[in-house]
Amino acid sequence: MRLIIRDDAPSASKYIADYIIGAYARSLHIISIPANGNIQERINTFNPTAERPLVLGLPTGSSPVLIYQHLVQRHKKGDISFRNVVTFNMDEYVGIPREHPESYHSFMYKHFFSHVDVKPDNIHILNGNASDLEAECHQYEEKIKQVGGIELFLGGIGPDGHIAFNEPGSSLKSRTRVKTLAYDTIIANSRFFGNDLAQVPRMALTVGVQTILDAREVVIIITGAHKALALQKCIEGGLNHMWTLSSLQLHPHPLIVIDEDATLELQVKTVKYFKSIEMVATELGFRQMLPRKRDSLVDDQFPLAPVPQMNGLQLAIPQKEISRSASPLLEPMSARISEKAARLLQSFDTLDDPQLTPMSARVAT
Amino acid sequence: MPSAVPRHEHDIPSADSGVTKFTNCLLVSGTELVKEDLWISSVTGKILNGQEILYGHRTAPGRIVDLGGRILSPGLIDVQLNGAYGFDFSVIPNEGTTAYGKGVLRLNSKLITTGVTSYLPTLTSQRAEVYQKALPFLGPSGKTRDASYGSESLGAHCEGPFLSPTKNGIHNASVLRTAPNGISDLASCYGPANLESPSPIKLITLAPELPGALSSIQSLAAAGIITSIGHSEASYEEAKLGVKAGATMITHLFNAMKPLHHRNPGIFGLLGTASSSIAKPFFGIIADGIHLHPTSIKIAWNAHPDGLVLVTDAMRLAGMPDGTYDWTNGSRIVKAGALLTLEENGKIAGSSIELVECVTNFLNWTGSSVPEALKAVTETPAKMLGVQDVKGTLREGADADLVVLDLQEGAVGGERKLVVDQVWKFGTKIFESAQGAK
Repeated sequence: MRLIIRDDAPSASKYIADYIIGAYARSLHIISIPANGNIQERINTFNPTAERPLVLGLPTGSSPVLIYQHLVQRHKKGDISFRNVVTFNMDEYVGIPREHPESYHSFMYKHFFSHVDVKPDNIHILNGNASDLEAECHQYEEKIKQVGGIELFLGGIGPDGHIAFNEPGSSLKSRTRVKTLAYDTIIANSRFFGNDLAQVPRMALTVGVQTILDAREVVIIITGAHKALALQKCIEGGLNHMWTLSSLQLHPHPLIVIDEDATLELQVKTVKYFKSIEMVATELGFRQMLPRKRDSLVDDQFPLAPVPQMNGLQLAIPQKEISRSASPLLEPMSARISEKAARLLQSFDTLDDPQLTPMSARVAT
Repeated sequence: MPSAVPRHEHDIPSADSGVTKFTNCLLVSGTELVKEDLWISSVTGKILNGQEILYGHRTAPGRIVDLGGRILSPGLIDVQLNGAYGFDFSVIPNEGTTAYGKGVLRLNSKLITTGVTSYLPTLTSQRAEVYQKALPFLGPSGKTRDASYGSESLGAHCEGPFLSPTKNGIHNASVLRTAPNGISDLASCYGPANLESPSPIKLITLAPELPGALSSIQSLAAAGIITSIGHSEASYEEAKLGVKAGATMITHLFNAMKPLHHRNPGIFGLLGTASSSIAKPFFGIIADGIHLHPTSIKIAWNAHPDGLVLVTDAMRLAGMPDGTYDWTNGSRIVKAGALLTLEENGKIAGSSIELVECVTNFLNWTGSSVPEALKAVTETPAKMLGVQDVKGTLREGADADLVVLDLQEGAVGGERKLVVDQVWKFGTKIFESAQGAK
């Protein structure tokens, strides 16, 4: 588990946007290099991902809005292109028109798709008005399989820890399906429907917990004090279907990016631990990225500029070349012992074993 | 300044869908400018629902136009334009009606460069034969939806000849007449065919106090022709009867009518009418700095902000050098700068201003916001003409008649100025200024 803590929601969102752009630079078809950027090479003519596009899982909701803003900004500046990106959205309400201002189709159009160059054919959002909802969900899973699975699933959570519409009590092995919304969620969402509970859809289509866990990487944004308890339950508590995000504990490469407000329920120890990990990694010049991604992706060569933290934590760490390999190279213990000590040891070695004399010899005669 | 921002138009080499997306622009939406994209089709010439195109038709824009933060407004509508560029709608040339028709086309192609994408060609009071010859060329011209024809006529505006002889302005009093027999007198003047549906006439200005005027207004309303009150001695009560009969507009408010008197508010009083008794009419305003004092404009706007329609009342001398020019019916007009006067009596004789300059004046005189000022040349005139779903709006399904405007602020003493950078008609770019192309 990687947990990145930023001072506020905007900087947490920026971290994720930069992370995606950095980690998937080649797939995102970097068009030009930011003036202060570390990207040495222009990836313009050679496009390795035309056949193997970058597949992203995308969320809706208030937390991701800022992430989309960053990505759109970078696109408009001409830094990145989404031409070779395939997207799958997490969920959609059942039974409201696609054009409804609160539909997730509208959300995605407004915040992302209308501003970037994702090919319309590469956009996948569940159709909440399909005549056969079950078939729609099944086909969705099939489509994900056909493109080779999701490379990175971006997500947020609800105050009850739900990921996508996998409400508390959802199977942690669940797949894309029709889901009845929890009463909490209906109340929370009624603010988007004129505070009229009757207007809020009762059901939604959503990817399952397992669908998300199948992604090669999962990145979650959690901001705000109202989500602090959910975060605490999901990372300090045990695996529990009442807090579906806790399933992330089973994922090999989860990354959770949060703001300070979201840490309110965490133990100080937990916060300090994750901060120290990032601190050490930053000071040693690498970030907490996956050591090696699939072949279409470049290695970690875009370290993010370390962000000075207001409530920083300084650790005295040895300035030493440290291998990033998961298992350290093991040397014989003797290699660590200095020469002088070794000589001393040797002199002991050369001493003859003490002459063992029979006990009787010690007895005075 | 927005004009300093580099602008890119990247053509995506995919098969051209005919879909253009404007981005990085401020759309006029109600009384606000919103940072949104606008999708249009050059095939249908209409404004699209981008979301529907993306999800429903799976189509990406074939062209993305980055406007560098400039304003994208519906094309401007002028409901009172007597002529321009040396052409006068009220004059049938000696060469005959063929030359007249060509003159109209020439004017249309020049007029569009000023941002006016549709307008009402306006005839001042003339003898019957002038109407009967001219009107067939002035009817709605947008049926072919051909952008190359330039500015589009939405139908003719007949300003007269059923006007008050004492409020004739520069109209020749000898051709003014009354309609005691109501609509049949109108038919014999304009030509019976020209009052039948579909009529080339969209709007008729008349004086409601004249005999037969009220019944004429009723008949016109039934035939789908809009009546405007103007060039009139009407009292408030007479004007109110005109509105009750079906008139919905006042032609160049304040000019050629009785001034506001506290015991007889006259036509202007209609703007103070409680909305429950009659609907407040729309009203035209000539914001050229000659016809009206800025404060009068602001009073009228405050009284009925949703009814104000900016018009130019421009005539054929617009853009011509100073001097004395022949006018109709043997009169002559003296042009001195923007000021046009009738030689014989010194009366103001129309204007030579562009509509976008009227918007700029309105902005600075009333302190309105940019969308409020633009509303007076887009949404409001479109509503007055009953074409609010296809013109003067950026809503889905409306015609893609658009102007790109650069707002230049603080030029002199914090004044704001709107400049037309691009003009699009039916989804096709027709004009781009040298400055706008930079």
